[in-house]
Amino acid sequence: MEAIPAPPDPVGSPTPPPPSTPNPGPVALRRRVGWTAAAVVALLAAVLLSLAVGSRTIPPDRVLDALLHGGDDTTAGVVRSLRLPRTLIGLMTGAALAMAGVVMQGVTRNPIADPGILGVSQGASLGVVLAIAAAGVHTLAGQVWFAFAGAAVASVAVYAIASRGRGGASPVKLALAGAAINALLVSVISGVLTTRASALEEFRFWQIGSLAGRDQAIVGQMWPFLLAGTVLVVSVARGLDALALGEDVARGLGRNVAAVRIAAGTGATVLTGVGVAAAGPIAFVGLAVPHIARALVGGDHRRLLPMAALLGPVVLLLSDVVGRVIYADSEVPAGVMTALIGLPFLVGLARRRKVAA
Amino acid sequence: MTAPSPGRTGTTGSPSRRTETTGNPSRPSRPTGYTLLRTRSGRASFLLHRRSAAVALCLAAALAAACLAYLCVGDTFVAPGSVVDVLLGRPSPDELVVGTFRLPRMTVGLLVGAAFGIAGALIQTVARNPLASPDIIGVSQGAGALTVGAMTFGVTSYATLPYVSTAGGLLAAALVYVFAWRGGLHAGRFVLIGIGFAIALRAVTQLFLTKGDYLVAQQAKVWMTGSLNGAGWDAAAPVAWTLLVLAVPLCWAARAQRTVALDDATATALGVRLNRVRAGLVLLGVVLASVATGAAGPVDFVALLAPQIARRTTRTDRIPLVCSALTGALIVVLADLLARKLFEPTQLPVGVLTAAVGAPYLIRLIIRGRTGGKSA
Repeated sequence: MEAIPAPPDPVGSPTPPPPSTPNPGPVALRRRVGWTAAAVVALLAAVLLSLAVGSRTIPPDRVLDALLHGGDDTTAGVVRSLRLPRTLIGLMTGAALAMAGVVMQGVTRNPIADPGILGVSQGASLGVVLAIAAAGVHTLAGQVWFAFAGAAVASVAVYAIASRGRGGASPVKLALAGAAINALLVSVISGVLTTRASALEEFRFWQIGSLAGRDQAIVGQMWPFLLAGTVLVVSVARGLDALALGEDVARGLGRNVAAVRIAAGTGATVLTGVGVAAAGPIAFVGLAVPHIARALVGGDHRRLLPMAALLGPVVLLLSDVVGRVIYADSEVPAGVMTALIGLPFLVGLARRRKVAA
Repeated sequence: MTAPSPGRTGTTGSPSRRTETTGNPSRPSRPTGYTLLRTRSGRASFLLHRRSAAVALCLAAALAAACLAYLCVGDTFVAPGSVVDVLLGRPSPDELVVGTFRLPRMTVGLLVGAAFGIAGALIQTVARNPLASPDIIGVSQGAGALTVGAMTFGVTSYATLPYVSTAGGLLAAALVYVFAWRGGLHAGRFVLIGIGFAIALRAVTQLFLTKGDYLVAQQAKVWMTGSLNGAGWDAAAPVAWTLLVLAVPLCWAARAQRTVALDDATATALGVRLNRVRAGLVLLGVVLASVATGAAGPVDFVALLAPQIARRTTRTDRIPLVCSALTGALIVVLADLLARKLFEPTQLPVGVLTAAVGAPYLIRLIIRGRTGGKSA
């Protein structure tokens, strides 16, 4: 046996320090854990606010009491039958839209991707309108399939349009393709609604994106789709990381780029579809939340997706609560509030030199 | 005596020959295809693009034919002779149908289409980009949001709504401009922020719709998609007045359009205040788009389509205002004719049809890559 030359003595050698210095890891880890804990706390606070605040403010201890022990008085009734389903729908929709936004930004490698801007929400809306007006489907479990179909067609169309021509799918081209598809879909929707006046009343409140007045049964019908979408997007999280390095690098890393895109696209479509079918097209949650999450935990999709799933509901529930208290007698739908809160985000993003170029 | 170079607006001083030496030498003193019209003293002169004039005449003829068809066709067919009788004020059995129902509605469509066409031409000239039309950068949505808001608060008279919508459009344009400004205006950034404002303002409009009672909402909803349904003389008057009042500034605009094509260095050398000229043109465009929105709602894509069609048929380097106005009017009148007949007895809002035509055109523009950049 030959003597293998001993590794150089680490103490005296001029070699750079070993690759895994212990310092950055734990600090980054601690930071991530800290932010995750903060996000969980924020989520709990948002849930509590959503349960407690409204036309009748209920103190937190009464809320907890009503949730844990029930009770027959009106306060418990309000919490359990009105605010609890609303909060749950907000939780699920917020998580679904935020994750859909993360995935769309990852797949298109484009910071302004969002289900609303890209016209995917509007596609889902058209699906639901057709389900109501043409097929007479009035349950979420039935409408959701129409929403998926509409969202899928719209997302494929927008991406296909934007990626053709010079320069590929640049932010401006994606936004414009989304605007064009949006306009087309809106005109079809209004065409359907003018010819079917009966559908307008059912559609009018849903159309803006609102958590109010939703059936409790929706929560039960929503979760299988939400779960399926989440599983799909989480399973391609590493593929999205690879894609972030560029198509060629992703291929070099042994990723099947097409498969990642299809799985991620399907996941985002399912998540958008179920979110829109449950609460209507809610603007900008899918745009703003991924950027906040990325600022907190970095670009790794395995961390980004859970963080977005935590923060999406916070944004949506807080928008809903603010919308409830801003007018004393009537409510501002959550979709309007998120549009107003999200606009500064888009403006800020657009003003960054990188995006506009 | 040679013609002044097309780059000059003739603002100050005598019609000197200085421009020949400062202008670029490659350009002929009188562009081919133009005829020079001027007074004998030479104080006022005008370059007439012969092809544009011919196209304008054809468009006017087509528009007249479309208008006649519009007045004839409907629930009941009215013979063209009878329509002419009504128009000339002769007694006719069809006076009610043609004179009371169809004529005002057609007039609104005509005026609104013209206003949108001119607005699009002006804004696209300044942005040097066909995508910067008022309905994409949030002007129409701003006008719409404020108008629907006023409607839900009980303002339904056509005497007040145009002012409200003009204010809304100007406000939206100002906001987009302010937020897109960052040491200059970049076309891509401007469009992105405009789209963002359009989304947010549409949400505000929806908010007002849910606040109002069902009847107001129904009315506002139809209005919002751009409808001429039930439009009467009271809706036509504000647009007509605006066009009339703005006629003089528009003549200035037609000349100023040439200046905007100059680069900054040339403009400074010629003593043109380029930014002021641009601001003036945009202001005119926004006012026209907003007033038209107030009369008929945001009729989508007319402001985008009309100038481009006009530019292509006249084959000019700039966007012709008169032909844009005529094209816009023609589009709206034809679209509304179809909207009335297509799904009888339901009357589709005209905006549905213009969007169905305009969106594919926009998609084609995007695919051909005429989107970003400083100039397109």
